[in-house]
Amino acid sequence: MEQQITRRTQVLTNHLLLHGEPTSLSAAPPLSSNSCLNYSPPDLNEPFSFNPTDMRVYLDSHNIPDRDWLFGLITQSRLFNPKQRGQKVFFSPDYNQSMEQQREMTMKRILYLLEKGVFQGWLTERNPDAELRKFALLEVVGIFDHSLAIKLGVHFFLWGGAIQFFGTKRHHDKWLRDTENYVVKGCFAMTELGHGSNVRGIETVTTYDSNTGEFVINTPCESAQKYWIGGAANHATHTIVFSQLNINGENQGVHALIAQIRDADGNVCPNIRIADCGHKIGLNGVDNGKIWFDNVRIPRENLLNSVADVSPDGQYLSAIKDPDQRFAAFLAPLTSGRITISASAIYTSKIGLAIAIRYSLTRRAFSVTPNGPEVLLLDYPSHQRRLLPLLAKTYAMSFGGNYLKQIYVKRTPESNKIIHVLSSAFKATFTWHNMRNLQECREACGGQGLKTENLVGHLKGEFDVQSTFEGDNNVLMQQVSKALLAVYIAAKKSNKPFKGFGLEHMNNPCPVIPSRLTSSTLRCSKFQTDAFFLRERDLLNRFAAEVSQFQAQGESKEYAFILSYQLAEDLGRAYSERELLQTFIQTEATVPAGSLKDVLALLRSMYALICLEEDAAFLRYGYLSMDNAAAVRKEVTKLCSELRPHALALVTSFGIPDAFLSPIAFNWIDANAWASV
Amino acid sequence: MAPLNSTKPDDPQVLVEEKLSARILTLNRPKQLNALSFQMISQLLDLFIAYEEDSNVKLVILKGKGRAFCAGGDVSSVVRDIGAGSWRLGANFFWKEFTLNYIMATYRKPQVSILNGIVMGGGAGVSIHGRFRVATENSVFAMPETALGLFPDVGASYYLSRLPGFFGEYVGLTGTRLDGAEMLACGLATHFVPSERLSLLEEALCKVDSSDPAIISAVIDKYSQQPYMKEQSAYHRLNVIDRCFSRRTVEEIISSLEKETLNKKDDWISATLQSLKGASPTSLKISLRSIRQGRLQGVGQCLVREYRMVCHVMQGKLSRDFFEGCRAILLDKDKNPKWEPSKLEFVSDRMVDSYFSKVDDEGWEDLKFPARSNLHVYAIAKL
Repeated sequence: MEQQITRRTQVLTNHLLLHGEPTSLSAAPPLSSNSCLNYSPPDLNEPFSFNPTDMRVYLDSHNIPDRDWLFGLITQSRLFNPKQRGQKVFFSPDYNQSMEQQREMTMKRILYLLEKGVFQGWLTERNPDAELRKFALLEVVGIFDHSLAIKLGVHFFLWGGAIQFFGTKRHHDKWLRDTENYVVKGCFAMTELGHGSNVRGIETVTTYDSNTGEFVINTPCESAQKYWIGGAANHATHTIVFSQLNINGENQGVHALIAQIRDADGNVCPNIRIADCGHKIGLNGVDNGKIWFDNVRIPRENLLNSVADVSPDGQYLSAIKDPDQRFAAFLAPLTSGRITISASAIYTSKIGLAIAIRYSLTRRAFSVTPNGPEVLLLDYPSHQRRLLPLLAKTYAMSFGGNYLKQIYVKRTPESNKIIHVLSSAFKATFTWHNMRNLQECREACGGQGLKTENLVGHLKGEFDVQSTFEGDNNVLMQQVSKALLAVYIAAKKSNKPFKGFGLEHMNNPCPVIPSRLTSSTLRCSKFQTDAFFLRERDLLNRFAAEVSQFQAQGESKEYAFILSYQLAEDLGRAYSERELLQTFIQTEATVPAGSLKDVLALLRSMYALICLEEDAAFLRYGYLSMDNAAAVRKEVTKLCSELRPHALALVTSFGIPDAFLSPIAFNWIDANAWASV
Repeated sequence: MAPLNSTKPDDPQVLVEEKLSARILTLNRPKQLNALSFQMISQLLDLFIAYEEDSNVKLVILKGKGRAFCAGGDVSSVVRDIGAGSWRLGANFFWKEFTLNYIMATYRKPQVSILNGIVMGGGAGVSIHGRFRVATENSVFAMPETALGLFPDVGASYYLSRLPGFFGEYVGLTGTRLDGAEMLACGLATHFVPSERLSLLEEALCKVDSSDPAIISAVIDKYSQQPYMKEQSAYHRLNVIDRCFSRRTVEEIISSLEKETLNKKDDWISATLQSLKGASPTSLKISLRSIRQGRLQGVGQCLVREYRMVCHVMQGKLSRDFFEGCRAILLDKDKNPKWEPSKLEFVSDRMVDSYFSKVDDEGWEDLKFPARSNLHVYAIAKL
């Protein structure tokens, strides 16, 4: 290990000395005195120590040719709003259009992609390869525009997914092909004005009329109106309705049914009322609406009956007797939603970083010596410290997201729980990261970050919703901690080893952190993993103790849990970061020795150390001494300067074509010249 | 000044004429349709590098002697080299050739290529990357590599993917021939000049004494005319091409073309299908992927990728189609290659992936370009 580290350091030092851009201010080369600034493309003077297309294989991980095919389809159509800036053409929606125009453009783009066969097999093929392809293509769409991805996500993953998961053969035969070909346009009416994350509390009521063999759906009060229903305001013809099912006066809990809300000409159906949710801070290409049901009658067959059914004469039938389990079965499609959101958050982080880092390699500010040359933004250690840890986190999350997708497409009934917990943790972690990352990138681009066409600022509004939909991030993180606590209690009760959610490390002796951390220890994956294990282990112990203490004081289990929210939050984070570090190490292990692997090791150390630096739990609970915390901080700075020469190669490896970045990522002088006005 | 070939000083493979600030380079192997030998490539590379630094040179004209501009790289000699020793000898040829393509694509001074005849494969590589490409009524352009068990290289994944719509996929996969009018229409040529005016054009260009693209373009404009586009030109079929060649896979491209002919017979589609079915299945798949990646990459990245691919082809571990193609088309001339795998469905994604990965061979390296100083980034964006 020690030897490896020395060798790696050697390699990197050589690299820095021989090829690297100067990393210290004093070594900055003299600039020839130009009367005017020249744009110097970083691609020509930042040498790559590895081939970015090789790194991209680890980041994108699957369906790279399909991704490139779709990028190509987008760049070959005027519908995707090509804009010439200087010598380059960029593809991005015109966010200056009215909400109505943006919605119509989104629909037109969907029809173009439909005609090109992009959605072929999205619902009619069910195997891991088809599922991964669908994920890859949706990710590419999301790189172009979040609205477009969400509108597709609602139609295919929520409406289509509900039919796949809750429906049976009769529903599959009737709806899936027509959905794939957009003969019907689906939406998904779950959230209500009065209930969001707490789906079990929704107030829409459905009863059964055995005289006509129909269900009757009602919105009994204003808080029961369906809210935020994507696709409902303009385009959807059908919806999945989530509703309490009341049979013979007995409430059987939440069920899903299919109701038509518009005819083929787009007229709203009788007994349905629809209103627009209005202009939003982002995602204005999605037509979110509100729906009221006034005694809407639908055929008995429209109940999605994989979990429970109602016989023609009105008997309620279900194989799952426990209403809790029945309800859990209904949440399956939301898992795929959380997976696509996690992936989309990573790709958006990549857009932000690619733009901000490319800009920082071409924009100079201030000289350090009188009349000296101005310094490149990324040659300031402070600028490195702002962007490069975020870059390392984004790499870590890419690998974590890939792992999540893999276990999702190979899911079994046994793995459902793990997928639920991991997708909850990653969705919350990645989407929070995305927003912070975009804000830092926006600031790192200065005033240029404020222009909509430069994306980094605008995307904050577009992606803010990610921390709320498909489960509020805080609620999701609490569920993660709850699941870990359940494992803890099960292990203690039965006196058996910990099993599941990666908690097996709890069975080992408590890791010991060396009292004096050297640079080589800090960069060693064994130390990094130990530190993460120690934190998770201690937080889980503390959380369990606190909950049981509250219970001992007479609080209910539920309320004890609510009172322990601080430790729950810390634990959720510890779990998530430990999973990410482990998937990073696993990915690294698959890479053959060479410069690419060396750079990944730097990124992994950066990821681990920035987590140690940022989470106050390490100091609060004494996992790190004050001296050790100081050593970590110093090492982060060192890692910044070692990653600096690879910055361009690392963002190039994201594989996002130039046309999907923005003018400041390239020749921004040219793009802003009078000749380009 | 420029190092000329030493073996046959009386019969140089590239003729050099100095006309004021212009340099006229003539490919001089008319019997071989000016196919590029290693020696020619080396000489061109040396000349281009020298001219870029030489302030007396403002313009480079490249043309061919005889009825061809250039029919491509001298593939049969490459195959001979590989037969005689290591495939790495063949790889050296492409390293040099692709480096030349890169220098031309990022050249600081205007290059005018006079395409008065056959322009195929490597011939396109030494002309299309340059600033001005003059087609005539004698021009015949093609990238015929898929029929040879190869793929469109020399940076073709860069320039083919930048043709309108999905025309590049069509040209690259079928190896179809384009005439001067079609070249101009799709952007492979920048001008069309009737061959009878070429000597006047050349004379005028030699007097320009400027590197300003606008001035040079105006001079060529004076001799240009709007060519007649033949009625049965594929260029009139862009709708069908976009519909079919935009499909995700080669199999889907073929089935969508077949669907087009369900209702009515169509000679053009039949011919297109015939070329696709005669080509190496492996070549078709790697070519499609290469063109699609190329659409999103700079010319340098395209050449680095193509160099990996061509090394895999020369190494012959993944497939021997290239050697079989050369046998059937160039050596035995039975025009009946036996491709292996023989069908598209036998070429898995994983096999295709391998062509895009590093080559596992002692000391093998990715293509690296000479440093280009003072380069304007948009020296690259010529197409």
